[in-house]
Amino acid sequence: MGPLAPNELISENTNFLFAFLIGIAFGFVLESSGFSSSRKLAGIFYGYDAVVLKVFFTGAITCMLGLLFMSLFGWIDLDLVYVNPTYLTSAIVGGVVMGAGFIMGGFCPGTSFCGAAIGKIDGMVFVAGLFLGIYGFAFTYGWWEKLYMANYLGEPKISASLGLSDGLFGLILILAALAMFWVAEWAEKKFPREAY
Amino acid sequence: MKPLKLLGLFIIPMGLIIAAVPQNKTNPYKLTAEEVLNEANTRNQFVTADVVADMIIKKDPTLRLIDVRSQEEFEKFSLPGAINIPSASLLSEEYADILNQDVKMNVLYSNGTLAANEAWMITRQLGYTNNYVLEGGLNYWFDAILNPQKPASTNPDEEFAKYDFRKSAGQALGGGGLTVQAASDQAGTSAKPVVKAAAKKKKAAGGC
Repeated sequence: MGPLAPNELISENTNFLFAFLIGIAFGFVLESSGFSSSRKLAGIFYGYDAVVLKVFFTGAITCMLGLLFMSLFGWIDLDLVYVNPTYLTSAIVGGVVMGAGFIMGGFCPGTSFCGAAIGKIDGMVFVAGLFLGIYGFAFTYGWWEKLYMANYLGEPKISASLGLSDGLFGLILILAALAMFWVAEWAEKKFPREAY
Repeated sequence: MKPLKLLGLFIIPMGLIIAAVPQNKTNPYKLTAEEVLNEANTRNQFVTADVVADMIIKKDPTLRLIDVRSQEEFEKFSLPGAINIPSASLLSEEYADILNQDVKMNVLYSNGTLAANEAWMITRQLGYTNNYVLEGGLNYWFDAILNPQKPASTNPDEEFAKYDFRKSAGQALGGGGLTVQAASDQAGTSAKPVVKAAAKKKKAAGGC
């Protein structure tokens, strides 16, 4: 019965080993999708390349379907799966900061490590900027604390707040994702870019 | 076939299946039968009536009394501040937050010890902690707290101390020689034993 770690079916060290292996797999998928090119990543904002949208949303839908089916078969207890707590103000402000950084730098945190790993200078600069931001935030935490902890909503699920069952919301999300992929493909044709 | 159409062809039926099938809401048992047997045999889940009476009088905020009898019996008489979770609906969603938490001490009680202990065993198997059973249930509560027997003069001092405590507790909680019927008069009042004790003392003084 999952999840494995909260139910103590695997030890903490095995948990870390799995995390390590999953990290390697994640890096492999990012690199093989071409995510170490900052022009490819920033393409979603300009319309000529929607690979980011497709890869991450496909990953999210696969994970969601997998969890829902495993819960259906009784292989996992969804109440024990960790859900990040929702701090609404932090989420919005953080999203804006991250989005601005993504467009300007052409990387997001995970892909910047992919780029740095294959020797791209802009990837390495992005990683340096990442650490500057983390340390800066930590040393000036007193200024941000109130903003950081504002609007704590617990761990709400969209399906619960809309009054739908998890499965029905999953179907809606799948249809929405496929629609977005279709629009993205239309945008790729409308805003083509020769070489990038 | 285009990749997008292939993806859609595979994923949309999965989505339809998962939307149509009802959610799996079973609570798996977290403790094995052997573990529950060990816990039941050590009898650590019992709390005595004296301890609970003391907590009620001191208005201990960590105590939460849960009556596992049916609603009619609960409305006829209940301990002060108790809530009703009938055994039949022990596993329903609305009571999960009350039974599965680590802030308050839930003391389950019934007329004897049997029903409350059964409820304890079931919640323990689900992995819930902080649930206890009132030893002796309401029957013992009436005999010991509300109508305490004066110990014989040859009994040790601590028996007298216990008797004194039980007598004052009983009066504070609405006892002092009263029967079930009279005690049920104050079942519906809020948890203000001080006021009630003053009123009851007059009657008790008259009776004794």
